[in-house]
Amino acid sequence: MCGIIGCVGHDDDTLDVILDGLETLEYRGYDSAGVALAGDTIDVEKKEGRLDVLRESIDNGDATPSGPIGIGHTRWSTHGPPTDANAHPHTDESDRVAVVHNGIIENYQALRDELEADGVTFTSDTDTEVVPHLFGAFLDAGMEAEAAFRRTLDRIEGSYAIAAVVAGDDRIFATRNDSPLVLGVGDGTYYLASDVPAFLEQTRDVVYLDDGEVAVIDADGWRVADRDGDAVDKEVSTVTWSAEQTGKSGYDHYMLKEIHEQPTALRQGLSGRLDELSGRVTVEELDDVGTPETVHFVACGTSYHAALYGVELFREAGIPAQAFIASEYATGPAPVPENGLVIGVTQSGETADTLAALREAAGRGAETLALTNVVGSTVARECDHVMYIRSGPEIGVAASKTFSSQLTSLNLLVESLAGGATGDSRELVSALRDLPGDIQQVLDETTAEAVVDEYLGDDAFFFIGRGQNFPVALEGALKFKEITYEHAEGFAAGELKHGPLALVTARTPVFAVVTGNDERARKTIGNVKEVEARDAPVVAVTDGQSDVERYADHVLSIPETHPRTAPMLANVQLQLVSYHMADRLGRSIDKPRNLAKSVTVE
Amino acid sequence: MSIGSAVVLAAGEGRRLRPLTKYRPKPMLPAANRPILEYVFDALVDAGIDDLHVVVGYEGDRVQDHFGPTYRTRTITYHRQDKQLGSGHALLQAREALDGDFLVVNGDEVVDTDLIEAVIDGHSAQNVCTLAVVESTEAPMYGAVTLDGDTVTDLIEKPGSGSYRLLNAGVYAFGPSFFSAVENVEREEGELALTDGIADVIDRGGHVRGVRANGMHSEVTYPWDLTELARTLLADGRVNEPEREPGVHVADSASIADEATLYAPVVVGADVAIEPGAIVGPDTAVGRSSTVEAGAVVRHSVIDSDTRVGTNATVEDSITGQGVEIGVGSTAPGGPADVRVGDRVHEGERLGCVLADRARLGGGATVTPGLLVGPGADIAAGVTLRRNVDEDTEVQG
Repeated sequence: MCGIIGCVGHDDDTLDVILDGLETLEYRGYDSAGVALAGDTIDVEKKEGRLDVLRESIDNGDATPSGPIGIGHTRWSTHGPPTDANAHPHTDESDRVAVVHNGIIENYQALRDELEADGVTFTSDTDTEVVPHLFGAFLDAGMEAEAAFRRTLDRIEGSYAIAAVVAGDDRIFATRNDSPLVLGVGDGTYYLASDVPAFLEQTRDVVYLDDGEVAVIDADGWRVADRDGDAVDKEVSTVTWSAEQTGKSGYDHYMLKEIHEQPTALRQGLSGRLDELSGRVTVEELDDVGTPETVHFVACGTSYHAALYGVELFREAGIPAQAFIASEYATGPAPVPENGLVIGVTQSGETADTLAALREAAGRGAETLALTNVVGSTVARECDHVMYIRSGPEIGVAASKTFSSQLTSLNLLVESLAGGATGDSRELVSALRDLPGDIQQVLDETTAEAVVDEYLGDDAFFFIGRGQNFPVALEGALKFKEITYEHAEGFAAGELKHGPLALVTARTPVFAVVTGNDERARKTIGNVKEVEARDAPVVAVTDGQSDVERYADHVLSIPETHPRTAPMLANVQLQLVSYHMADRLGRSIDKPRNLAKSVTVE
Repeated sequence: MSIGSAVVLAAGEGRRLRPLTKYRPKPMLPAANRPILEYVFDALVDAGIDDLHVVVGYEGDRVQDHFGPTYRTRTITYHRQDKQLGSGHALLQAREALDGDFLVVNGDEVVDTDLIEAVIDGHSAQNVCTLAVVESTEAPMYGAVTLDGDTVTDLIEKPGSGSYRLLNAGVYAFGPSFFSAVENVEREEGELALTDGIADVIDRGGHVRGVRANGMHSEVTYPWDLTELARTLLADGRVNEPEREPGVHVADSASIADEATLYAPVVVGADVAIEPGAIVGPDTAVGRSSTVEAGAVVRHSVIDSDTRVGTNATVEDSITGQGVEIGVGSTAPGGPADVRVGDRVHEGERLGCVLADRARLGGGATVTPGLLVGPGADIAAGVTLRRNVDEDTEVQG
């Protein structure tokens, strides 16, 4: 998983356009970065570390790559550690070809053995390097550049988005297979990138490429053909959001900005979909989706936690539902029942594991639905149906507002597909309308920052919850791990006594999510007493309806609301706990080590 | 001269507007159904400003959250004033980000583009400062100005009486040298007002130009000024929502029952629901995602977002914060009334009641006109309220 970009048609500022573009792609990886500018020769400059390191070496004049066209790369390591040598672009032995790649070449070892047997010397540990050597070999054999590029593609297997330049050629060649790639159409300038924001400052006109298509851009224009070279008619779409929407608005971190954006993000997601007068939910995109008999969710990470919440909602509506970790489902899918619906939850719409699981399900004849934030993403184009969560762009690698938008959208989805089954639609509509304001209240009144100070330096952090609060506990722990680098685990409250309780000490604070005052709340309070008896400090996240506060060292309050929306409010408190802890510890909050925002490799 | 940058001062709380300012600064209070600050930004953008700087302080997150990084595609740069040490001190926070001449406006007053354009046109490289001057009988109540031709000879803060007829409208253009002027002014009790810096320029013989202009400029000082401001904006049709019929502005995403009645002028925001039999208006603004239930009556009032006016409730001359609940059949009749703000009683103001953010008025409760109810306060059903209520206070029957 990495970000790639290519640009033609800029006379003097090609390098700046590429570097600025890479900056917006850093969410896809940031352990090394590089550029190649091509004219009669190819200048490559690449560095281990953040893009800033590369920029610095260029600003210092240590390197001055120049040329009318160029490609760039920001890396998240899969094959070989982050080093200068393993950074992209990669070249062939004579530096005639430079290649950037996002994805994994699955047959690279065989190709590498073959090339080495022919006397080729490799300079990196990457899977990617086979591509420029193959490309170079076909050029050596006298093939025209575009033909040589296609021939190279015939040899490689796996998932990839690739862009390549050739010395003395004014074209960029690119293709995709299971990894994202979009084409930008400017005024005499053309771009290729893993994601739209990379060239959004230059143009809003976008062509979404499909798997197997080869795009060629030069200063005269763009064209797209299939693998056989037959031209493909592609539609140019215009994106409506702007590059400015991705600024930090005066906050130190995107994550805090995005946490604070939640009321607005949820209003966008709810607008026009709730009718207070009739007490009904209407989601236009779902008009042609029938009520499923069973539901499988496939998702990863935070989206998987959203899926677990969705399972609860479907079950309450009387529809059997299960959530699967997408990477498991892709290689060992559960039988898809007739009239079943497989729902993929992925913020970016490019998560390779989720896409693989959905393809597996579709291959077995299942109807598929994507729940995603990104219009035009691969998942949106591949699934039978798509519902957008309308959260707006999220830059922080750790998901915050998009998780809230996913949960909100799942309420709309279930109500829309299986509406009325739970009999309290009117209350739910009303609670959803109140939700943005309720989250604002949590943001206004939270004491999370002060609570965090009490537990700085403790050994481990546990999060527990029951029912719909269980996914929130899991998500609370995941967020905590991701950005604080401290040990954190989430458990179903009832599972504590079946093992994890052995970990509990006076130095392991337990965050207990307890909402309402029903049987679940009472039983969770029982679990709270268990940890309290082992001297663990307890932080209760509660709406104050039960008496959990009596057993807690600290309380993070949320307003009283519907049982379905309460977990979302509790989640906001836990987001703030993680954020403030990470901030105290001086962590790289927006770009945690080893992580990337959308994981486009399996 | 042409000016591209503006600094908007939005760091102040607005103490006399408590309890409405508990969780947000004064510039974020509703002018009809949008924050005052949006009107300020609109006026600046319409006058050709494309580089917006905002100094935030008290509850500054609310400004950042609402606007984000841009407004109407113009970049917003935020500057933080951690301690509220006056408008001059606030301006200094933006110093590093500015070069060349720039505008300064207050973020808590709705101003007309005309005033801003007049200052831009009137300002020249010879002036350290240019400010807009309007004729107003209220000049002695606010910042009065004396002019000699187009030269400002004196600035007098709240003289209280006297024959002053010229008012400082709070729209300024400055040359870059103003920063050092304001920086060197001796502070009074640590505070540094913008006008102190201007007075200092005058004292030292610098030329401060006064540009006479016409145009709206409305100070909001007390809660009841918000209903008055909404009335003025509605009368001029200065709201963003589409006009369904003359004076009736309704957002496309709002749902209005056929049997509900809207009396012009009125504005209804996004995702609002108005149920059958409800009567809303005239001179009323309903903020986004609010609900007016069946049979409720809302007149001459500003209802902020996420508020619910219960079935058959009556609300007049009132202002609600966000997320307020007004119970079934409760009553908040209109003014005139005596209003206690801090230690002072204002007599005969037109005010029903103020219900600050997330206050709850129980079913069948009655509020005596002129009362202020704090945020999160909970008034039990059936209570007749006769005095102000502090935040998070429960009032039992």
